[in-house]
Amino acid sequence: MIEIDITKKLFSAQGEFTLALQLSIEQGEFISLFGQSGAGKTTLLRCLAGLEKPDGGTIKVNGETWFDSRVATMLPARHRRAGYMFQDYALFPNMTVRGNLEFALRPEGDRKRVAELIEMMGLGELQQRKPDTLSGGQKQRVALARALAAEPKLLLLDEPFSALDHTTRVRLQDEVMRMQRHYGLTTVMVSHDISEVYKLSQRVLVIEHGRIAKQGTPAEVFKAGQANGKFSFAGEVLDIETADVVFAVTLLVGNQVVRVIATADEVKSIKQGDRVMLMSKAFNPVLVAVGSL
Amino acid sequence: MNKLRGRITHIESNDHVSLVDVDVMGDSFTATLLETPDDAAYLKIGNVVEVLFKETEVSLAKGLSGLISLRNRMHTTVKQVRGGVILSEVVLDYRGRQISSIITTRSIKRMDIKAGNEVEALVKANEVTLLEVTDGL
Repeated sequence: MIEIDITKKLFSAQGEFTLALQLSIEQGEFISLFGQSGAGKTTLLRCLAGLEKPDGGTIKVNGETWFDSRVATMLPARHRRAGYMFQDYALFPNMTVRGNLEFALRPEGDRKRVAELIEMMGLGELQQRKPDTLSGGQKQRVALARALAAEPKLLLLDEPFSALDHTTRVRLQDEVMRMQRHYGLTTVMVSHDISEVYKLSQRVLVIEHGRIAKQGTPAEVFKAGQANGKFSFAGEVLDIETADVVFAVTLLVGNQVVRVIATADEVKSIKQGDRVMLMSKAFNPVLVAVGSL
Repeated sequence: MNKLRGRITHIESNDHVSLVDVDVMGDSFTATLLETPDDAAYLKIGNVVEVLFKETEVSLAKGLSGLISLRNRMHTTVKQVRGGVILSEVVLDYRGRQISSIITTRSIKRMDIKAGNEVEALVKANEVTLLEVTDGL
């Protein structure tokens, strides 16, 4: 159980605001932080990792105090047992894959853990390579293995897959899910990808201006109202064009670009770049087996 | 999206499909849903819901008589016709509420639809979505 109750003044392009978050995370829970850039999501991760200091409040992990402003306690990052994985791998370039993992071991850590991770994550072929010679997906797999090598109690993922192509991203999401379950790791992930949040997390916190604006399961948070449109996909508006008396709206849904008809009323509330839910009743779609196309 | 508020009066379900009747100002609307009261708590007799249907799913009829399978039928008055080349939007007054229909300009011409006409607006039950509302009628 992780109990967080912190405040910190933040400075963004829109001005100054206060990050004020109160939440508890169950052992083994996977939670996602969702929201616009600059809302304070990464700051929360950095405060958990010990890379940044909150202005006030407490952070307790399984009863152990990691931070308490009242008694000026600030457990240093290296003692926190938090595995941190960023978008830019941050691997040591002069070390091999195995070297990177070994370096991350705790002083009293068991070297067998490195072998186990190399085996479990299929890094055997790569273990003597240097990071420069790896692809983005491979580097990120090594970064995940390295984060796990430190036997973390808490795994922190900051948009870990945003720089990767779709296929690699999906594969790595599976990997994270498998390792997270295997080790029963409490995990906090920052992500802007709704499908990723849906797939991986049990709970989502929508962070707006440093506060929790909404929380719940992904289905609860992302469901647009309580419509019985059984099909709802998150999409992004790429373009809005007039089409006679109606409008043709081009949307990016997953990896597909689709166009739908919308009325003047519907387009009034949306603009290019907006996130929308695309809903359809279960009766409308036509299904055709892929092989027969 | 056309929206009308009403109260659920009747629910019939089999397997995963339900036929839900909603009373809107004395008219009965029907929605066919792939949901049942077992998996959708808002499907309860007496609950207030919003009846939603897309403008492009609203058909129009003039001087309609005889039997018709469509259950959702609104007696309306044409307020305005916004003509396009292929499609036109017909703005309708339905018991003081505004709804719209988007049909082909060709049909508008063929049926000679213009402001002041009385027309029947028809929607298939399959095209009706129900949305849970919490703030009453």
